Amino acid sequence: MKVGRRKFLRAGSAALVGLALKTDRPITGSFVNDSLQMGHLLRDRAAFPPARRIEKFPVVIVGGGIAGLSAAWRLHKRGFTDFVVLEMNPQAGGNARWGENEITAYPWAAHYVPVPGPKAAYVRELFEDLGVLKNGQWEERNLCFAPQERLFLYGRWQDGLEPAIGLTQKDRDQFQHLEELFAKFRASGEFTIPLELGRSSQYEDLDRLSFADWLQQQGCDSRLVNWYMNYACRDDYGALAKDTSAWAGVHYFCSRETEEKGPLTWPEGNGWITRRLLERVGENVRISQMVHRIAETKRGASVFAGDTEFQSEFVIFAAPTFLAPYLVEGFPRLRDFTYSSWLTANLTLERLPDSRGAEPTWDTVFLDSPTLGYVDATHQSLRTHIERTVWTFYWALADGTPAQNRQLLLDKDWNYWKEAILHDLERVHSDVRQCVSRIDVMRMGHAMIRPAVGSVFSAERRRLTSRHTRLLFANSDLSSISIFEEAQYHGVLAAQTVLDNLHGHR
Amino acid sequence: MGILLFISVLLVAACGLIYELVAGTLASYLVGDSVFQFSTIIGTYLFAMGIGSALSRYLNRGLVYRFVWIELLLGVIGGFSSALLMMAFAFTQGFELILYALVMVMGVLVGLEIPLLMRIVRDRYEFRDVIAHVLTFDYLGALGASLLFPILLVPRLGLVRSAMLFGLVNAGVALWTTYLFRAELSGTRTLRVACLVVLCALGVGMADARRITATAEDNIYADDIILARDTRYQHVVLTRFKDDLRLFLNSHLQFSSRDEYRYHEALIHPGLAAVPAPRRVLVLGGGDGLAVREILKYPQIESITLVDLDPEMTKLFSTHPMLTKLNDQALLSPRVHTTNADAFPWVDSSTESFDFIVIDFPDPTNYSLGKLYTTAFYRAAARHLSAQGLMVVQSTSPMFARDSFWCIAETLKQAGLETHPYHVYVPSFGEWGFVLASTREYTPPVSLPSGLRFINVEGLSALFQFPPDMAPLAMPPNQLNSQVLVRMYENDWKDVSH
Repeated sequence: MKVGRRKFLRAGSAALVGLALKTDRPITGSFVNDSLQMGHLLRDRAAFPPARRIEKFPVVIVGGGIAGLSAAWRLHKRGFTDFVVLEMNPQAGGNARWGENEITAYPWAAHYVPVPGPKAAYVRELFEDLGVLKNGQWEERNLCFAPQERLFLYGRWQDGLEPAIGLTQKDRDQFQHLEELFAKFRASGEFTIPLELGRSSQYEDLDRLSFADWLQQQGCDSRLVNWYMNYACRDDYGALAKDTSAWAGVHYFCSRETEEKGPLTWPEGNGWITRRLLERVGENVRISQMVHRIAETKRGASVFAGDTEFQSEFVIFAAPTFLAPYLVEGFPRLRDFTYSSWLTANLTLERLPDSRGAEPTWDTVFLDSPTLGYVDATHQSLRTHIERTVWTFYWALADGTPAQNRQLLLDKDWNYWKEAILHDLERVHSDVRQCVSRIDVMRMGHAMIRPAVGSVFSAERRRLTSRHTRLLFANSDLSSISIFEEAQYHGVLAAQTVLDNLHGHR
Repeated sequence: MGILLFISVLLVAACGLIYELVAGTLASYLVGDSVFQFSTIIGTYLFAMGIGSALSRYLNRGLVYRFVWIELLLGVIGGFSSALLMMAFAFTQGFELILYALVMVMGVLVGLEIPLLMRIVRDRYEFRDVIAHVLTFDYLGALGASLLFPILLVPRLGLVRSAMLFGLVNAGVALWTTYLFRAELSGTRTLRVACLVVLCALGVGMADARRITATAEDNIYADDIILARDTRYQHVVLTRFKDDLRLFLNSHLQFSSRDEYRYHEALIHPGLAAVPAPRRVLVLGGGDGLAVREILKYPQIESITLVDLDPEMTKLFSTHPMLTKLNDQALLSPRVHTTNADAFPWVDSSTESFDFIVIDFPDPTNYSLGKLYTTAFYRAAARHLSAQGLMVVQSTSPMFARDSFWCIAETLKQAGLETHPYHVYVPSFGEWGFVLASTREYTPPVSLPSGLRFINVEGLSALFQFPPDMAPLAMPPNQLNSQVLVRMYENDWKDVSH
């Protein structure tokens, strides 16, 4: 038999293509929880329906995230229940929202709370309420199980996220130098959580330069040191070190005790806390209620949501503060509120992908990836045998300006992000495409406040926190950092102020 | 004819390299230390090829005829080399000797091939072309083989069949040569018959390779394997040597039928016989029904709840005649209620109370199993204890894993329980330990069920004495967020195996 060359080549290349094509499982999914459109209605000052109904509540809380729910928790706990929480989204929780499928519950954003120190009294009180703290002991099931964190670098895994292998003497010296500096800052008592309880003008200078510049001043030019410092800023602030106030950068490393255990976490992340709070105050929460106007009056304020006017004596504005100029009549423009953009995704895995021999951990990070890696939702499961799981993938869009990143979120379709996420995971889990069956993606243009240079000691912020009016602000962005403890602190504080004044004039 | 001839060179070169890779890989798998194995095997092989080349000058006549025979020999020896080596490892003491002898023989034969081929074709081409062509195809073949081996052959065919496949190639080249050079060959018929015989032998070998591997594996496990099964949760292997049945889960020995009575009597009776009027018992783990067999020796017990993750395990131990004989059909008793569930969530969701709880899990070899040895787990389990109840925990060896044993004891203490550690000698395991835990004072029993072979009342107090080499150590408790036990256990056993 004579096989022509052309025919031979054709058969050969067909065989090669056949070998190259692996049978990837089809991956479904979509964008979920989008609130971009609603935000744009406000920005573009679209026409909203006129009020047709009036409801009266002594207290109206705008925003059902952790700040708003914490204010509600405080009011409720003090026996005051005549209030309403208005939440724009169909699900309360804000950055502590969660999802659930047939495998597990999983977080949509914030997924842990570090074990609170003695200064975070409100957080400790909440955790005592929720049974997380009992007789001074942290409930073991709510502490993150071992093994907790792993970093993939140079083709292998290490425990913990601070690079510990492949370090030169210079790298080691610089990590050591920073540790010593941070210990000093920590001892000063200036860097606390809540931030307001420690911050004095002692280190105000640090707020005038970027964390990157400060690191350079300390002689830190090690690539690994800089990677780790940038990772920390991206993780907590959604920003690079060059876009972060040095004060905030230092705060990240100096606000917590070094020997603490933890963190506290749950399969659905901080969604677990949201759920527990909703068990207590859920009856007062109204979802899908987009507030579009707030008018301050002599005896309080009117809050307009949908076609209802909520007349109140006090308004706790727990939604992101940047919305105030769009909602509150006559409110001045804000200059010191910059927000980072985020993308989170929940990946459903039908089986665990190849992890190069390592047992799964809670948090997985890849050195030199633009993303923040992923968290395994079944890590806190008590089962010994786990076949399917959900990974929550975190990506703070830190390169470029926030405006550019918001445009990127608007421009790119689901498929683009799906591929980007899979590419990132494939650098370690080569067979991940054969394991993932679904990827849901959540885009957040204003995901978290960014502690930009000058923002920690901003006079504008101070004015907003010390307002003596019937409109009180409570979002975590008042602290310039977006963490659970700050949101809860401001929420509780606002509720306390309201309670004091309500009792005062009644 | 030219190109066809050079393709033979390519194929022959590929075969030569494959046999070398097979030998190196097998030696690394079976003996370990892959750097040493590959270095010495490649060295020996190349050296033997040198010998082959040197010997080629003594072959003067009938070059083609001899080439065909060399190919056939190589096909047989190389093709069966992998199977031969596995058998050698499983059945003989002289694996290394056979390995290097085989590598030498194959090397010599491969070393003969290229010089012979060059001489066969030298009259057809100029000398420089012969060198260039033969060596080009020789190296090309080597490249192909070295790529095929790790990417396709080992994952798809395995080592035994890969070697055989290339044995077939050698024999195929031999057969082909008898056609290419039919003009100058005499006695081609005999040669061809020989070729066909070799091809058939290798073909049968390919088809039967699984049995060869299985036979060898049988012997690597030392005893007859009477059952090997991958369940959803674990790899279950049951072996038998004369009257000794052994169960391995994920290669860890679970029991030997010759002395398991020591383990299971010690697990159950010091605790259960001390519980006044026990009626309800919980067994976590222990799907083999051997602990249940001991519990059934108490007629006053009304119900035994057995919780084991793997339904295939409990099914196996309820149905397999050898195994039901061993556990006295314990799992078929109407007093036994079997549930297949993950223990921790089951303990969390159940509201029943028990007079005696047996915790008999595999050792904490990984973080998943480690969860079942934590304060959180023991607290949850202890919630099911009745007022007079006792709990017993298999706690690995206080001798070989002394840190781990005392860590488990400390963990039970931190879970708010009184602890009473004890130990026994089980020949197939060595010194083994248990911890009794309770919310009340424990006093050893004064009477035991009849018919026990190991535990007696007089000997009980000795079990609670720990000699200096197993004496208590101060250890931190094992908690979900620290899981210190898993690393401790790994280190303990690492020290033992050195």
